[in-house]
Amino acid sequence: MSVRPPSRFVTQFGETKGIGRRKVQPEIQTPNPEVSQAPIQVKSLTKSYGNFQAVKGIEFEIQAGEVFGLLGPNGAGKTTTVEILEGLRPRDGGLVSVLGFDPGTQSKQLKDRIGVCLQSTNFSAKLKVVEAVEMFGSFYSRTVNGEGLLKRLQLWEKRDQFYGQLSGGQKQRLALALALLNDPQVLFLDEPSAGLDPRARYEIHELIQNLRREQRTILLTTHYIEEAEKLCDRVAIIDEGKIITMGSPREIQSHTLGHSIIEIHCDQPLPHKEIPAWNEAAKTTVSADRKVVTVHSSHAARTLVEMVKWVDQQNIGLADVHLKKPSLEDVFIELTGKSLRE
Amino acid sequence: MKAYLALVKVDLKLAFRDKAVIFFNYLFPLVFFFVFAGLMKAERGGTISFVVSMVLVMGILGNGLFGAGIRAVQEREMNILRRFKVTPISPAPLLVASMISGWVIYMPVVILMLGLAYFVYGMPIPARLFSLFGLISLGLLAFRAIGLILASVVNTMQGSQVLIQLFYMPMLFLSGATFPITILPPWAQIISQFLPASYLVTGFQGIFFRNESLSTNWSAVLALLTTMILGTFISAQLFRWEKEEKIQPAAKLWVLVVLCPFILLGGYQAHSREHLRKAQILARDLERSGTLLIRGARIFVGSGKVIESGAVLIKGGKIEEVFEGTDPDTKALKATVIEASGKTLLPGLIDVHVHLGVPGGFNEPGENHSPQEAMSRALAAYLYCGVTTVKSVGDPLDESLKLRTSINSGERLGASLFVCGPMFTAEGGHGTEFFEGMPEVMKIMALQQTVRLPKSVNEARQQVRELKAAGVDGIKAILESGQAPVLFNRLDVSLLQEIADECRIQSIPFVAHTGNLQDIADALKVGLNGVEHGSFRERIPDELLSIMAKNGVAYDPTLGVVEAFSKLSSGGEELLSRSLVEQVAPAKLIQTTKTFLLSEKSIKFLERLKPFGMGLEQGKENLVRAYRAGVMLVAGSDAGNLLVMHGPAIHHELQLWVWAGIPPGIALQAATYNAARLLRADNRIGLIGKGHDADLLLVDGNPLQDISITERISEVIYKGERINRPKLFEQE
Repeated sequence: MSVRPPSRFVTQFGETKGIGRRKVQPEIQTPNPEVSQAPIQVKSLTKSYGNFQAVKGIEFEIQAGEVFGLLGPNGAGKTTTVEILEGLRPRDGGLVSVLGFDPGTQSKQLKDRIGVCLQSTNFSAKLKVVEAVEMFGSFYSRTVNGEGLLKRLQLWEKRDQFYGQLSGGQKQRLALALALLNDPQVLFLDEPSAGLDPRARYEIHELIQNLRREQRTILLTTHYIEEAEKLCDRVAIIDEGKIITMGSPREIQSHTLGHSIIEIHCDQPLPHKEIPAWNEAAKTTVSADRKVVTVHSSHAARTLVEMVKWVDQQNIGLADVHLKKPSLEDVFIELTGKSLRE
Repeated sequence: MKAYLALVKVDLKLAFRDKAVIFFNYLFPLVFFFVFAGLMKAERGGTISFVVSMVLVMGILGNGLFGAGIRAVQEREMNILRRFKVTPISPAPLLVASMISGWVIYMPVVILMLGLAYFVYGMPIPARLFSLFGLISLGLLAFRAIGLILASVVNTMQGSQVLIQLFYMPMLFLSGATFPITILPPWAQIISQFLPASYLVTGFQGIFFRNESLSTNWSAVLALLTTMILGTFISAQLFRWEKEEKIQPAAKLWVLVVLCPFILLGGYQAHSREHLRKAQILARDLERSGTLLIRGARIFVGSGKVIESGAVLIKGGKIEEVFEGTDPDTKALKATVIEASGKTLLPGLIDVHVHLGVPGGFNEPGENHSPQEAMSRALAAYLYCGVTTVKSVGDPLDESLKLRTSINSGERLGASLFVCGPMFTAEGGHGTEFFEGMPEVMKIMALQQTVRLPKSVNEARQQVRELKAAGVDGIKAILESGQAPVLFNRLDVSLLQEIADECRIQSIPFVAHTGNLQDIADALKVGLNGVEHGSFRERIPDELLSIMAKNGVAYDPTLGVVEAFSKLSSGGEELLSRSLVEQVAPAKLIQTTKTFLLSEKSIKFLERLKPFGMGLEQGKENLVRAYRAGVMLVAGSDAGNLLVMHGPAIHHELQLWVWAGIPPGIALQAATYNAARLLRADNRIGLIGKGHDADLLLVDGNPLQDISITERISEVIYKGERINRPKLFEQE
């Protein structure tokens, strides 16, 4: 039988794995939102599938009212991490607390209190919007008013429409509505705007920003850098089961701030001679037609002056000059060597 | 609770918005209902109950296996279940809601079907409505549980299609839902015992045909209940929310666990064959449930009256109506019509004197002769010849009772059997001589089964009481001293008196074999219901005949046996070469018998029978005189004796009577109504009258002019079934 086996490594807070052979009676933890502890806490989280180690000691905390982004390529361990937090998957080791519950042992209570928006939600084509809301409402111990929720998500006019007749954006709004049915303090949003057109995506972003204003704690996984930059207070980049870097989008960008990118376009090819090592410059590259020079610099202004000076000495005219700050995506590529959207 | 209600509500709404659900649950059974009803001519009788049972089972199979199974896989495949996984709900409400909604969806079909059967086809509403709905619900929930478990152990839609079809197809075709199990080959009958649907089929038919309740079907009910609980429980344990969660191929073994009640039940039934017997009986009920109209026939009613042109309506195994002169409106009667102009309809014949355990001839020496087989074959032969009832006046008790049960239930097809079982005689008396050569152990057993040798008054009484308790329909005693050189000890008259008195107390008919006048006089003195044989040696005087007439004692002259014995030395060619004999008696038996009788070896054997074979003319004279004296005549053949073949013998007996001077109508009455009176069954058989069993013989011609016409058989109808006569001998 494929009944979920109890994890052999389930551990509680206050008990570290080292001490852990001794069986400790799990302390029943009643959640208390007033307590100032972080609603989501993850320490030394590990999870393997057979020989494959999907999560290798991830640690983070998400504070109340914070929007936290998880970025990473496919197979990085993002989904596994989130599913462990949602109580869908047992963990091998480490400590996890969501709203004071251990998802490994208290998944039912936990699920009653969190909201989840899956990447791909689907319903029977012949299910009406209002029926979906009523049905899911029956699963929770407390729910918000369905009518208010549908109005807020601009689905009230569509309440008698079949699910199969909704547009992509409407379907996603319904998924969000269902995630909000139990008025959750913690929300897990998995790729909430994937596959939507720009307008629908904008609407979803508006909604998430509203939720943030309501001081809800949100864990957002996304492929969209702009989404993370726009919505997240903090971002963690995951690759191969580990967090590579974590911080506010600005902080992360600043890790590589020294590496502003200067691009000079010349009006004729540069001569075939060695490019000098300008001050503070790294990774100097010349395009194949020898008309474009790209340089990473930790002190862009100084390097730029020297570059312009040198080009002028070669009696070559400048066609264009770009000075680029690195995006989160550049950071990501630089840190992982992978693209996010493969 | 809130979640259960909400899920049922949504399940139902989705179901009623799904064209496939509507089609398979409502349209499909309706189409089958009308197709089957049309094919099986359901308007002509009880077939409609059969059609309803079939369509109910088909519907339950579809609703359970496809409704629950395919849908569960579909929701997983389409990632619908995933979303439920992140809510606090567990699999239980989802599974239970699926069960309940499946039930709610199906119930209108049941009501619609019963309504149509009632209003369109005139099916009576079953008396056990609660049991019917109970069994339907139980079947449906068990099959939904099987559907759920099938869905739980496959990974893909294709996988589920294959697995579900693998269950659906055999259950559709081998359970009796589409063809009766009884027409399937033996291996398929065994397989059917392992199919849950088979028990639903017989369960429904039992409720319809035999007013059975759930408790009659307790083993099937228990198996369905266990399957339902196991199926739901295990599918909750195996429940998967996402298609990405794969299951091991070995998990398919869980299906066997869920079906294990039926594996056990099937194993038991394949061994005991109880359920197959039940299926056989129900199939018989179906055959007997039709509406028949025989019209244009000359009707010999049985009691002497003749309707020159009339019609008989048969419904549900009984004679519903007898029409004289004008034909009834056949269209309105919705009956299968048998045109019988130029034919004569008689009550099924009754032979009141047979010995089933002996075959009327010789089998190949060394060939295994099984009395059980011989007895059931004999009953088939009687029915073949239009003899619908026989009275066995001396046969192994246990075998006779067993055979009577299986004939009465409908499991076997043959003439109805009235059993006397063992014959009362004296130690060393007539009836014991057949066992002389046997080894001691076998002899004791054989005597125990076929004779009673009371030595005291108490023993005589006790033996009658015991036989009555065992279920015999009558008692026969033997008064016979034999004739030199073959002499027998004769049963003491004081003991005969006790037997006769006890029979009166126990109210069972009592007859006695008599050999001479003294025997007849003694028998009449103690008081009895019938004299068997009378006497072939002496002329029965008027005094005795008038006592018989006055006391209503029946006289059974058994001329056939005495004629047969007189023809032994000529090889029996004349008696064995009659058409009806050749039709029913095995060719080998006839050949062996002829060969033996013409051989040297027979001389010593025939010597012993000689004294019995001298009195055909005396027998005829006694018969005619008894007729003139107003004695109630009954016809018995003593078949089983050498050259007296089971079945044809009674026809020949009647011919002997007519040749002796008895009017054909009187002879026929002796073999119908009078015989039924002797058996005390004239309220059921022996007459063509409203409410009587539809046991009928239709012959080509008029036996009232030519008695041998009774052998020209057009139709035999037994308990309302048109007998397929040649098939009678194909029974196992």
